Formats: sequence, structure tokens, C-alpha cells
Amino acid sequence: MDMKSDNRYKWLPGAILLGLVFFLAVFLVKPVGVSTQFSQTAGMVWSAADPAVARPLPEAGASAYTSSNAYFAKDGGKLAKAVAQPWNYGFLFVLAIPLGAFAAHLWRRKDEPAERFATSPVSGRLQFLSGFLGGAVMLYGARLAGGCTSGHMFSGMMQGSLSSYFFAAAVFATAVPTAIFVRKLSKGGADHE
Amino acid sequence: MNNLILAVILGAAFGFALYNAGAGFRANIRAMLTGRDTTLMKTILFGIGFASALLSISIFSGVLDLGHLSIKPLSLAVPVGGLIFGVGFGYLGNCPGTVLASLPYRNKMKTLGVLAGGIFGAWLYALTFSFWKGTDIFNMLDFGKTTLFRLSPSIPSVLEVGPEGLFLLGGALMVVAALLPRRLDGKA
Repeated sequence: MDMKSDNRYKWLPGAILLGLVFFLAVFLVKPVGVSTQFSQTAGMVWSAADPAVARPLPEAGASAYTSSNAYFAKDGGKLAKAVAQPWNYGFLFVLAIPLGAFAAHLWRRKDEPAERFATSPVSGRLQFLSGFLGGAVMLYGARLAGGCTSGHMFSGMMQGSLSSYFFAAAVFATAVPTAIFVRKLSKGGADHE
Repeated sequence: MNNLILAVILGAAFGFALYNAGAGFRANIRAMLTGRDTTLMKTILFGIGFASALLSISIFSGVLDLGHLSIKPLSLAVPVGGLIFGVGFGYLGNCPGTVLASLPYRNKMKTLGVLAGGIFGAWLYALTFSFWKGTDIFNMLDFGKTTLFRLSPSIPSVLEVGPEGLFLLGGALMVVAALLPRRLDGKA
């Protein structure tokens, strides 16, 4: 392979690693997924203020839970149980994602442009607010759809799930115009971070 | 092995792979969505295709515990939720998984904002769940848990073709990933 074609497939090792992780997750336990844990975390905060959000249901069994909220009570109180007993597989999986990201960062540090880690000209408060707004819209949609890019797109498409193809088509139908619009707004196309 | 230990190992591996692929850097996702640089798209499509191929081989050879498959049900809520999701995704250049791989980068305040906003959005959904249940959204387009190919006797499929179909689809995704032009915005 000459230098040019070498460079053209620079993304390939990263793609193989990603595919390997998707597969290993299904092979060893279950497909990767992230957005359910946002609901679990919301429930943990909420139940601290209102214990009825996740309460035991002894009449249905020793480890049964239910909730005053219809969403946390659905599917036999599965989410209410996760709120009450948070140290489950899915939660630890999600908490471990940043650990892996920081490990990769230490390993790849020298390949990354320094400006990606420099201080931002935008005030922290504004950044937080902008992230908060986007994050709220995104997770609201993900919970309605029953999954996000991880659970629906990565895991769903790799299993050939019908629902995930509908999800992917819908996501790109709004994500592409939104990204183009945001870029036009941020004059001259300088990427906001 | 204990499942909770596996959760940490697999979660960390997922975070490593996401960061390594550049998916944690918001500008990369925005460049993909605006067609300025499809590298990440190639990476993701190839990754999904490669995983499909491995999965079909493991089913075909009988080494996969079919109980590990997990298919999400289809209803009108899936595309409607997807449309809402896409607005946040396109605006941020982050998704719920990659935002956790964004933490090493600068602008940690934005990353923390996405995480806090995500928890708030998930809470808002729980509050409005009864409203959605009252509409017909979960009953329309209700095809339940369905796969394109016949992977397990307990999961209905669109086609009668088995894991070999998934293998071919995975192969096709890998070819598309390799052939996809670097830019889709018409610039050189």
C-alpha cells in the first residue's frame, strides 16, 4: 500500500475495534445501550425527594418494585427497581464509558490537535445552558423512541432490527438540517464547541 | 465471569472505542452531519456491518446464546422520538453515549450541561409518559419486536432468510463504508 491509500483507510482500525465491542457486548451479555440510564438517574434524583417514585411491592414478590409514576412502574416496575437498586449492569456499563475514554485520551494524546483541549472563548455558563437545552431535547426523544444512537442505531442495526432502521432514518431527517442550520447561524462556519 | 465486572470492562471498552474513533469530539459529528467529512460515518457504518457479520457467524455456528439478542419494539413512537432526538443530536454533535466520551476534551461545562439536560429530559419524559400513552402513538405502526432476518425462533422476522441474510447486509454496509466519498457537500 502506498502512502495515499494508507491514509485513505486510516479510519479502518477504529471501525474494527468499534464493531468488535458491539459484537462482544452481545456475545457476552447484551447489546450496548445508554439512554435508559438517564431515566434511572432522573428517577434516583426524583425518588430522593419523593420516595413513592420507587417503592417495594411486597405483595408481588420479595424483589418487586413499583412507582407512583406510570413510566417508572411500566414493565413490572423494571425502572423503579433500577432506581431503588442502582448498581446494576446497565448503570455500571454507562459509568465505565468515561474511564475508557480517558484511557484512550492518554494513549492518543499526541495525535490530537492541542486546540481541542485549550480553554474556550465561550463562557462556561453559556456552554452549560446550550448543552442542557440540547441534552434535554435529545433524551426526551430517545426515551419516546425507546433508545438512542447506542441502543437503537448501533445495537439495533447490527442485529437487523426493523425499529432501528425507522429510528435511524428519522434521526438523520432532522439531525442533518439542524446541523446545517446551526453551522450557518455560527457565521462563517467557525465551529462552535 | 461476574456480570458487574463485565459491565465495567465492556463499558470502558465502548468508551475507549468511541474516543478512539473520534466520536467524542462534537465537531467531528457535526462535520459528518453537514457532509464536510464523512470519516466518522464510514467508521460507524463499517463498525455496525462488521458486528453484524460477526453476530451472524456466531448464530450460524451455534455459539451465541440467543437470549442475549435484544430487539426494540417498533411503533409510531420510534420515528417520532427519532425526529425529536435528531434536533438535539444535530444541534449538539453529541449523543447520549458519545457525550460520556467527550469528557477528556475542552468545554467540559458543555459536556456536563448535556448530561444534566439529558437527565432533565428523561425526567420530563417520565412526567409526560401518561399523555403519550393516552394518544395512539404506541399502537400505530405497531410491528412489535421484529428483525429483518430470522435470527431466533422466538423473534418474528420480515424475511424467512436466516443469519446468512444478516451476514450479507453486514458485508454491504462495510462496502458502502469503504466507498462512501470523504465529502458529501460537493466541495473538493
